[in-house]
Amino acid sequence: MLNYIIRRVGYAFVTLIFVAIIGFIIIELPPGSYLDFRLRELRTMGGDYSTDMIAALEQRYGVNDPVHVKFWKWFSNFVQGDFGWSFRYERSVSSLLGARIGFTLLVSISSLIFSWVVAILVGVYSATHRYTIPDYLITVFQFIGLAVPGFLLALVLMIFAQRTLGMEVGGLFSARYRDAPWSWPKFIDLLKHLWIPVVVIAASGTAWLSRVMRGNLLDVLNMQYVQTARSKGLKEEKVIWKHAVRNALHPLVMVFGMSFPAIISGQTVIAIVLNLPTIGPIFVNALLQQDMYLAVTFLMFQAMLLVVGNLVADIALAWLDPRIQFE
Amino acid sequence: MESRETTTTTERSETDTILRIKNLHTYFFTVVGVAKALNGVNLDVPAGKVLGIVGESGCGKSVTALSAMRLVVEPGRIVEGTITLNQIRKQGNGYKVMDEVDITSLDPRGPKIRSLRGSEIAMIFQEPMTSLNPSYTVGNQIMEAVQLHQKVSKVEARDRAIDILRRVELPNAEAVVDRYPHQLSGGMRQRAMIAMALSCTPSLLIADEPTTALDVTTEAEILDLMRELQADMGMTIVFITHNLGVVAQMCDEVAVMYLGRVVEQAPVDDIFYNPMHPYTRALLQSIPRVRVREKKRLEPIRGVVPDPYSNISGCPFHDRCSDFMPGVCEVNVPAMVTVPGDPQHAVRCFLHSDATEGENGR
Amino acid sequence: MADVISVPVTAESDVREPTSDVGEMSQGKLIWLRFRRNRLAMGGLVTLILLYLAVGFAGFLAPNNYLQQNLEYIHGRPSPITFIGPECRFRLRPYTFGVTTELDQAAFKWVYVVDESVKLPIRFFVRGDTYSLFGFRTDLHLFGVDAPHRLYLWGADSLGRDVFARTLMGGQVSMTVGLVGVALTIFLGSVLGTMSGYFGGVIDDMMQRVVEIIQSFPTIPLWAALAAALPNISETFTMLHRYLLITVILSLVNWTGLARQLRAKVMSYRQADFTSAALVAGASNARIIFIHMLPNAASHIIVVSALSVPGMILGETALSFLGLGILPPMVSWGTLLRDTQQVATVVQHPWLIIPGAGVIIAVLAFSVLGDGLRDAVDPYSI
Repeated sequence: MLNYIIRRVGYAFVTLIFVAIIGFIIIELPPGSYLDFRLRELRTMGGDYSTDMIAALEQRYGVNDPVHVKFWKWFSNFVQGDFGWSFRYERSVSSLLGARIGFTLLVSISSLIFSWVVAILVGVYSATHRYTIPDYLITVFQFIGLAVPGFLLALVLMIFAQRTLGMEVGGLFSARYRDAPWSWPKFIDLLKHLWIPVVVIAASGTAWLSRVMRGNLLDVLNMQYVQTARSKGLKEEKVIWKHAVRNALHPLVMVFGMSFPAIISGQTVIAIVLNLPTIGPIFVNALLQQDMYLAVTFLMFQAMLLVVGNLVADIALAWLDPRIQFE
Repeated sequence: MESRETTTTTERSETDTILRIKNLHTYFFTVVGVAKALNGVNLDVPAGKVLGIVGESGCGKSVTALSAMRLVVEPGRIVEGTITLNQIRKQGNGYKVMDEVDITSLDPRGPKIRSLRGSEIAMIFQEPMTSLNPSYTVGNQIMEAVQLHQKVSKVEARDRAIDILRRVELPNAEAVVDRYPHQLSGGMRQRAMIAMALSCTPSLLIADEPTTALDVTTEAEILDLMRELQADMGMTIVFITHNLGVVAQMCDEVAVMYLGRVVEQAPVDDIFYNPMHPYTRALLQSIPRVRVREKKRLEPIRGVVPDPYSNISGCPFHDRCSDFMPGVCEVNVPAMVTVPGDPQHAVRCFLHSDATEGENGR
Repeated sequence: MADVISVPVTAESDVREPTSDVGEMSQGKLIWLRFRRNRLAMGGLVTLILLYLAVGFAGFLAPNNYLQQNLEYIHGRPSPITFIGPECRFRLRPYTFGVTTELDQAAFKWVYVVDESVKLPIRFFVRGDTYSLFGFRTDLHLFGVDAPHRLYLWGADSLGRDVFARTLMGGQVSMTVGLVGVALTIFLGSVLGTMSGYFGGVIDDMMQRVVEIIQSFPTIPLWAALAAALPNISETFTMLHRYLLITVILSLVNWTGLARQLRAKVMSYRQADFTSAALVAGASNARIIFIHMLPNAASHIIVVSALSVPGMILGETALSFLGLGILPPMVSWGTLLRDTQQVATVVQHPWLIIPGAGVIIAVLAFSVLGDGLRDAVDPYSI
């Protein structure tokens, strides 16, 4: 088991290095980045101060260095936690990131848990009630969940919450708690606001996962060992939950690597509509402004989250399926 | 091959039949049509004996077994017929019927059939690779059955599991109990499967091609083991196979199936030395024999098994039969009739009786 | 156990009555049979055909040109339709009403008042704004009202442009992004997936790492970052270039899914007897791949592709919604939905959300079609 984990961690590191190379390429891609713009601005200003600034910036980002030196400068700084400077916000990227990464994790992980719990329950129900009216209804909802773009669902739900429930929507806090220190009422306020983003972000993932779960379980229900369990005289519920569901979960854990990116993706777009204090809106703005160090840092963090998520899934799978550790 | 006691000569009575299948029809309602897997199966399983069911692939052997367990799954359904299970106890030389259950009338998921499964009727499946759940240890899966049917503690159930694993001659049973199925070889898995099936001492064991997936030496060991356990525990075995050699080694009685019907049932020696149905004869002629002096060609059976979606008029075998009688065989379905003077030999053929199905069916 | 004897394989000969033809149907016929029984999937197919016809003939179907601004009708409501004629009697011809613009003194903004006294008959095959249809310039529209009045079936946007016309035109982009992207996906996915599965070894290892790395990025942020790197619209980089590169970006991530599935398929075929038979017969690698493997995998490729179209449509919509995909004046459903970013706007002008219905219907239709195909292709799903 330990060997297995060490090997997976090794893979994850290799992947991360390649992810960094892609991130670097994306920084270098746009022709008119904010850094170029700033350098041009400083050159036209002239003066000692500007010359010093230009020299410092060129040194820091390796503007005139060959590509591999430039990459190494960026990469080594990145590893040490210096992600560069947001020219748009005039702040270091790490300070912008620090303020938002917590809420991003909160929203993403809540959505993840929500979608998994709901998807497993719904998937088991619809697989064991195949071709019944509730199964058809669930199928309809699954298709709608997959077909409606997240931001539209967010809009509709916001209007519903505002008009019908009379709630204050948008953001994660009411106005009076936004800048207040943490307290119990603030926490309750957070929970009241959290459900809309969680439901919206989880919607498409839940729809998809529950379909995967339904399919898996239907496959497993055809397996011989399910008949074996029935032939022992076990109750159908026990046959389903002990013998079938456990085996149907393996492929589901394997697709974890795909459900987590979907949630991060959805979070990016939906956060704009719902005005969430996550990294989504700031990431999109950075891209629109070609503030590339900020944008790529966020992209890298999202990719890192996924690589770590996959690692956790791999280890969970090994724990769930006794066959894997001995491969 | 061990020598076997002579097959019973006493006339079969109600009391020594453990399972009686009458006119069983099981259909599968699929997209492309209705597959009539069983088309009126009549079968008596004698208590304390090993009954072999033989036939080509797709003739309905497995569906018969699953029907008796009420484990036929959608889109399959039992549409007609009865299966009666006699819960019998040995009494002196004969048997006494304690209770009679009509299995076909039970809810396939209800408590009654569940209390019978595992404790009265147990089943072993063809593929030892897939019939054990890969996520649980062998012990866990045996203990589950023990605890379900017997009021025992977890520790006692574990002891029973180790006991029964020893009984099926698994070396190092104390270790095997904590192994996962993928850590065992095919033969060991099938032994574990047998252990699981026998853990609650069922009176009827249905073995659906239990050795087909195994190599020849392992097969021989498993067959010896089953025969031994059968003698020890006095249980009845229904042994499904397509291998006539296995039948000769294992069985006391044989039922030959063709296209969803039993066409001949007789003690094993009668089947081999006095086959009456043309299909049985064709089967026997098509296999090589050792120790036969005369030089004979192997005769393949002409034609192929019709697919189960088709509706064949008359006797289902008539278009492949060497003794086809035009104007008779393709018109009516022959009934299962006992051979005069041999009450244990029944055959379904117009060569031996004019009775048609529905008139004089057994 | 001297004689291990089996029931022999039966010899072929004439069967007198072939009473069932299930065994003789071709694979294609069986697939079509199963597909046709699936009413949902058939509905999806019909919906898609209608949608493509509608967006193909967008200029002809819409009464106005999608770029025609009307500062007199900013955020105007959908035109009311009635079948009560000017004589206050029911007529078969639909009518709409004239609209006058008034200044709301209190709120200090323009309001549009429906003037029920002016009844405008809706005529068929009328002349109106010019547009181009498959390269031909024409001004014939399926229906419309007499100039100078205009018909706004689904209202108008912030520049007084016809939402109905814009939704149909937007569909031209949104519904083709998926198809062009899928063509690329199929190409990349089959070539790389087949190579990876067939040759194995180092090639396979490398391919697997590449797939893993691409899949370790969240899709929309990666798409967005790549789209942000595209040059600005200029003389040399036209809107069409941008459109094509957006489809390339979408399929750049998408092919990994198909490649993985195909790799698994090809690997299983490699173990299959028909491959060994071909190898023994001296067939070349290319022959085995193109004659023996790809035709077997074809139905699989089609299913995976059909199921990946919805993701592409949704991806384009999300990118354009963020302002990183298709850029104005080109329209797609995503760019149209940019107008709905503010909840207040949607509450006041709910018709602006109509292009969203286009996305939902198209994605639903493709999903049920793909699902139906998959169920029909899987021979074990009888």
